Amino acid sequence: MRDRNIFLIVLAFVVIGPFVQPKVIITEMLIFGIVAVANNIMIGYTGMLSFGQAMFFGIGAYVAGLLLKAGMPLIVALPVGTLFVLVLSIAVGYFCVQRTGLYFICITFAFNQMFYFIAYSWTGLTGGEDGLPGIPRPSLLLDPVAFYVFVAVVFLACLVAMKRIVDSPLGLICQTIRENPSRAAAVGYNVKLYKLTAFTIASTFTGLAGTVYAMLYGIVPIDQIHWLKSGDFIFMTLLGGTGNFFGPILGAVGYIWMSETFSLYWARWPLIMGIVFVVVVVYLRGGIVELIGKVYGSIQRAREAP
Amino acid sequence: MSFLILSQILNGFATGMLYALVGVGLTLVLGVLNLPNFAHGTLFAFGAYFTYTVANLTDSFYLGVLIGPLLVVLIGFVIESQGVRRLYAAHHDYQLLFLFAVALILQETVILIWGPVGFSLLPPKFLAGAVDLGFTVYPKYRLALILFTATIVVALYLMLTRTNVGAILRAGIENREMVKVLGIDINKVFLFTFGLGAYLAGLAGGLATPIWGLTPTMGFDILPISFVIVVVAGLGSILGAIAAGILIGLAQSLTTIWWPEAANVVIYLIMGLTIILRPQGLFGSR
Repeated sequence: MRDRNIFLIVLAFVVIGPFVQPKVIITEMLIFGIVAVANNIMIGYTGMLSFGQAMFFGIGAYVAGLLLKAGMPLIVALPVGTLFVLVLSIAVGYFCVQRTGLYFICITFAFNQMFYFIAYSWTGLTGGEDGLPGIPRPSLLLDPVAFYVFVAVVFLACLVAMKRIVDSPLGLICQTIRENPSRAAAVGYNVKLYKLTAFTIASTFTGLAGTVYAMLYGIVPIDQIHWLKSGDFIFMTLLGGTGNFFGPILGAVGYIWMSETFSLYWARWPLIMGIVFVVVVVYLRGGIVELIGKVYGSIQRAREAP
Repeated sequence: MSFLILSQILNGFATGMLYALVGVGLTLVLGVLNLPNFAHGTLFAFGAYFTYTVANLTDSFYLGVLIGPLLVVLIGFVIESQGVRRLYAAHHDYQLLFLFAVALILQETVILIWGPVGFSLLPPKFLAGAVDLGFTVYPKYRLALILFTATIVVALYLMLTRTNVGAILRAGIENREMVKVLGIDINKVFLFTFGLGAYLAGLAGGLATPIWGLTPTMGFDILPISFVIVVVAGLGSILGAIAAGILIGLAQSLTTIWWPEAANVVIYLIMGLTIILRPQGLFGSR
């Protein structure tokens, strides 16, 4: 399918979604959709698996939440929160890209937990274990419909921006690095610098999603910065499928839908999620995108057969 | 003040030896199987809970520490033979997601079986109470813990450097393909390594119970620390994991004297410094 058609389907989902499901859930799907697509810039396009993206999501949420609580307007809080994550992700990324493979995973994972502990111990600022409550929404966005429209616009804008990035020469260089880092280096590309760029871009969009999330429930729970959340982000991206730019959106939608449904019935719902993860790993490698591709293909073939 | 520092150094050694056990277990699995074992922390938790249950059933802490970790080995065998082994052909990302899923499932299982409330376990009578060391009065159990884990670590090191099994494991870390070519059943090596890693995590969990108590999140709390140990140590370095474990234990308990809130953050500073000054890790060569 052409990208333009997929984009139209995404647009249709954004428009029709809130009429079918509660607005809050669709809003959450869009916010985590940004995260999952951003994550794929690293996993799918550059071949780096970061186990620490929750730190950027959480920090974006904390910074924006604190600014909004301090009475700053939206137009200040969101950009400052995003900028903060941008600068921080350059600093953290500098350490992470020094090593590759298993080491990279270990380091991102450990940094994630460092920021978790800072948020956990700095109770005066972040509220520690109880999370950061009482984040106000600007009066313009108090209405659920207005807030949904705002999130939808941010989501679509992020999607267009990220699509442009991965289609740019930068995106192609990232894919070269994924395929063969030594050859990319031999041709003259500074591999570490491009990896750091991909890391920063993905993390900044994740942080931006975090700033929007802070306003959704008016609270930043500390779980949002825990390493478990980083694992969930990876699951969303892999569930959707890393082979397609839009794939991870499906993963985020699926993940939110499942967690909202299971958590209604059983307090130990993460157990079910764990089992779903295993099923995906064993039977659904390539994600929902590949499944759709297979079904689409077999329908095509059935039609061609006389 | 100096008494405080000395006893905190002892505390640091006690914690550090437990970290070393956990770290060596993770390093072995990481080195031989080339997998970051995200379930390692929950295996540590299972070790603690099994020890607690066995100790309560038999009325003997010693039996608990003897049998508890062996039950964890069984879990490790199941994870390796039923899950990890089937995924060697899959992309690395999926193996990782699988282990993450196993961690989630085991974590929730702990809460299902033992409930969300923590427990505490007393050390055996012989090791209860404190002993006067001259400069400070120190709990007997912690001294015994330091001596016992030191023995285990030395025994483990001798096994890895002096026996055939150890030679095969170290060869596996260096070059898996070559080990296969030499006619050694790599599946057995993987199973053994995963079991040994699970045993070390479980043993550390069991030994830690009289000091730290039992909480359902204990596995998720120790996991990041064990990853820091691996990064500081150098990927696949056994000696490095032992040294890094003790170093981190000491750093944590010494920071507690002056700035308790920072004790959990200081280990990441050590990691950051290691990456800048010695990216391959303290004992790493790659």
